[in-house]
Amino acid sequence: MSRAADAIVAWLDERIDLSALKHFVAEKGVPVHAQEVWYYLGGLTLFLLAVQLFTGILLLLYYRPSAAEAYESVQFIVTQVQFGWLIRNIHSWSANLLIAAAVAHFFSVFFLKSYRKPRELTWISGVLLLFLMFGFGFSGYLLPWNELSFFATKVGTGIAGTVPLGGKFLLRLLRGGDDVTGATLSRFFGLHVAVFPALTTALVAVHLLLVQRQGMSVPLRVERALKPGGRVRQMPFFPNYILRDVLAWYVALAILAALAAFYPWELGTKADPFAAVPPGIRPEWYFLAMFHTLKLLPSHVFGVEGEHIGVIAFGIAALFVVAVPFLDRRSNAGRESPTFTVLAILGLVYLVTFTVIGHYAR
Amino acid sequence: MSSVTSVVERLAITALLLLLPGHVVAADAPATANRCATCHATLADSRLAKPATLFSQQDVHRESGFRCVDCHGGDAAATGKVRAHDSARGFKGVPAGQAQIATCARCHSDAKLMRRFSPRQRVDQAAEYVTSVHGKRLASGDTRVATCANCHGAHGIRLVKDAKSPVFPTNVAGTCATCHASATHMNGYTLDNGKPLPTTQLADYQRSVHAAALTKGHDLSAPTCNDCHGNHGAAPPGVGAVVNVCGTCHAVFAQKFDTSVHRQIFDKSCVECHGNHAIAKPSDDMLGTGANAICGTCHSGPDDKGAAAADGMRAAIERLKAGIEGSGSLVARVRNAGMETSAQEIALGTARSQLTLARTEMHASDAARLTPIVDDGLKIVAEVDRAGERAVSELRYRRRGLALSLGAILLVVVALGLKIRQVDRRT
Amino acid sequence: MSDVTRFAPSGSGSPAPSDFDRRTFLDALLAVGFVSTAAAIVYPVSRFLVPPPSGEAATASAVAGKAAALKPNSGLLFPFGGKPAIVVRTAEGDLRAFSAVCTHLDCTVQFKADTSQLWCACHNGTYDLGGNVVSGPPPRGLEQLVVNVRGEPGEEDVVVSRG
Repeated sequence: MSRAADAIVAWLDERIDLSALKHFVAEKGVPVHAQEVWYYLGGLTLFLLAVQLFTGILLLLYYRPSAAEAYESVQFIVTQVQFGWLIRNIHSWSANLLIAAAVAHFFSVFFLKSYRKPRELTWISGVLLLFLMFGFGFSGYLLPWNELSFFATKVGTGIAGTVPLGGKFLLRLLRGGDDVTGATLSRFFGLHVAVFPALTTALVAVHLLLVQRQGMSVPLRVERALKPGGRVRQMPFFPNYILRDVLAWYVALAILAALAAFYPWELGTKADPFAAVPPGIRPEWYFLAMFHTLKLLPSHVFGVEGEHIGVIAFGIAALFVVAVPFLDRRSNAGRESPTFTVLAILGLVYLVTFTVIGHYAR
Repeated sequence: MSSVTSVVERLAITALLLLLPGHVVAADAPATANRCATCHATLADSRLAKPATLFSQQDVHRESGFRCVDCHGGDAAATGKVRAHDSARGFKGVPAGQAQIATCARCHSDAKLMRRFSPRQRVDQAAEYVTSVHGKRLASGDTRVATCANCHGAHGIRLVKDAKSPVFPTNVAGTCATCHASATHMNGYTLDNGKPLPTTQLADYQRSVHAAALTKGHDLSAPTCNDCHGNHGAAPPGVGAVVNVCGTCHAVFAQKFDTSVHRQIFDKSCVECHGNHAIAKPSDDMLGTGANAICGTCHSGPDDKGAAAADGMRAAIERLKAGIEGSGSLVARVRNAGMETSAQEIALGTARSQLTLARTEMHASDAARLTPIVDDGLKIVAEVDRAGERAVSELRYRRRGLALSLGAILLVVVALGLKIRQVDRRT
Repeated sequence: MSDVTRFAPSGSGSPAPSDFDRRTFLDALLAVGFVSTAAAIVYPVSRFLVPPPSGEAATASAVAGKAAALKPNSGLLFPFGGKPAIVVRTAEGDLRAFSAVCTHLDCTVQFKADTSQLWCACHNGTYDLGGNVVSGPPPRGLEQLVVNVRGEPGEEDVVVSRG
């Protein structure tokens, strides 16, 4: 078997020079230290993204993006198509795990200050990818056209309508009209299967290329602990590290399979645009913190509408997150940066508490 | 040729008009001759002014060309009150009592005349009225009873199908209640048994399933007062007639009840169990000898065959109900897990039809006739349950398949772990 | 595999025979694991790709049956979106379809050939072949569906859809 593989490599090498690739594969190493466990999160996110891409393409074979047929086509996939239930369940569960993995990846990189020079562009592409994942979640949630997703989308796009200056325009742009209708579904479908995947592909390419070019970042503390002229111990990427990566993917696969089998994702009832809003409408868990914050804001603060303040604050926070590598001067200079560690902790605590409160709030 | 025909036609019409009663000629005469409204509309006394204004607004008679004098007599062309109200010119004033019936009947009982305006309209209202309680009392000299105008209005009369008419289905109950819900108006009237006539009918009716269907359900075919009592011949349905009256709509129940032993025993047939004006939505609780059951009022004790039969029928219906509910939740569970269940849902619909049929058949008070219907329903339920169980085992099969793949995944995980140790040891 | 040995410390010589056996066993185990997990993915996916017999989601239309099998002055019940529906061939040969759910208490209506009407056994409700209530307790008429005939001559299917 390995002889056949060698023959193929030789055959290819004769035709396209593989020496550069061979060199890269042979040279690529991963730093070994106490925080190395966080390195797995990036690969895990990538794996789950691949699962989404694969199951998403499969679902496209039967899904129909129209208000009259969306719900029925998902019902058809789940009940009539062989293993349709499995593909759909995996797509739904993997979406949630993907967001969780991406958020965890984000915070690990934040805490380790891996964004510092020269990896600013890696960070920016990563943050944009994180936002894209939220976009995927938001647009994909509506596609089954069930009651919950319909009203959650109504509320979610309604928040976009409170953006100061042009909120009304943004709302109409998102919904494809004044209200959530079949037109919204068409839009969200287009975003979910064409626009976002294209952007994601480009950004993932940039992100991965940068990671390969620059290698893995070594945490500041590990770097500072080194003796002058010393080097961090390296582990070969092939096969030592890749085997670990694959192991992590398999664990994720096992979790996915178990979730899909034992907690089937419910289809709910078909959306009825003229029905009263059912009680307990709330967005997906990853929007809960934002949703609950807006709910808690007083209607007016110093004469400005509370929701405006909330939306502006989220916008500023997003810009801040993108700009972190440029703001954190101490990290860039190779010094400890406790301010940003505290900021990250505050951010994490805020997200966790508001998500939990939002989940239990009536 | 054509001019000759038209002349002949005109002559014929003129001759016909001359033969008809005077008011019809008046109806075809120019409207400028009607001077009654000129004075009446300006009078300070609203009792005298209001009829003129009402009549000049929407009124089916004015729209058909009739004028004040057609009912009231007098001279419409006269400019002075004395001449206009001259009894020598046929002035009658306000027709009341029998005179009012006669005034309306002059046209409304004339089939030939009514055909010209409303060919499908009945012309037996006056004849029916004579047979009604209202008509009989009027004949015996009671002037407090309703005559035509009490229900239809006198001026500003609208067609019955006009939603603003006081006798439009949704307004009938209120119209009857103007007298029948008034204790003062009903004072002195008694039932056949000598008790005072109750005035609670409207309140009772408004609580009924019929009123709900009519007012909340907007189902104009739902019954109101006149659908059971008749309108022009209004009277309570007599003993023995109730089942026929209810049976005009509830035909199947009447038919089943007709074959029941109760047909001979229940004087008031349907009313015995369902009541009259305050008919509530029937429930299964009414059957049997339990807490809210009606059968228990007559049937009780361990030796009572009727009690046993009633309890048996109730138990059968409850069995089917419970079966349908159980299958329903099984099907819902399976559907939520992503299985195709439309065939089972249709089957459950059929089982529910059987339940409805059983509830109907129960009115024959024969447990032996109820059993096969319930059994058919239970058979369907059992089939749905079997299909549900098959689906549940399919779910188990899915989980086994996943457990198998999980096994393979875990095998790889373990092997990879060992391999990593091995590779690490070598580097 | 040369890259692996490159990272191997220069001191390590060729592995002992028992170590070698363990390595081949582990590789075999891994191969079995990879192949079986690949099978566990490929099998459901390939089954997923095979279109189910009904072809597409029955959202707005359903095949009631063969047109030729429906004789004049007869009716045929069929499932339509999880509820019963009925297609009728009139004595004149027209095809008409209605929801077969009685508007009174949701019983299933049937075709009565002697009167050429739709009839509900539960409370004797009757509808004409326009779906209108003729007699009995139903408060509304039956929802009329659109009928089309599709297919090879002699083998046409009656396709019913929501208007």
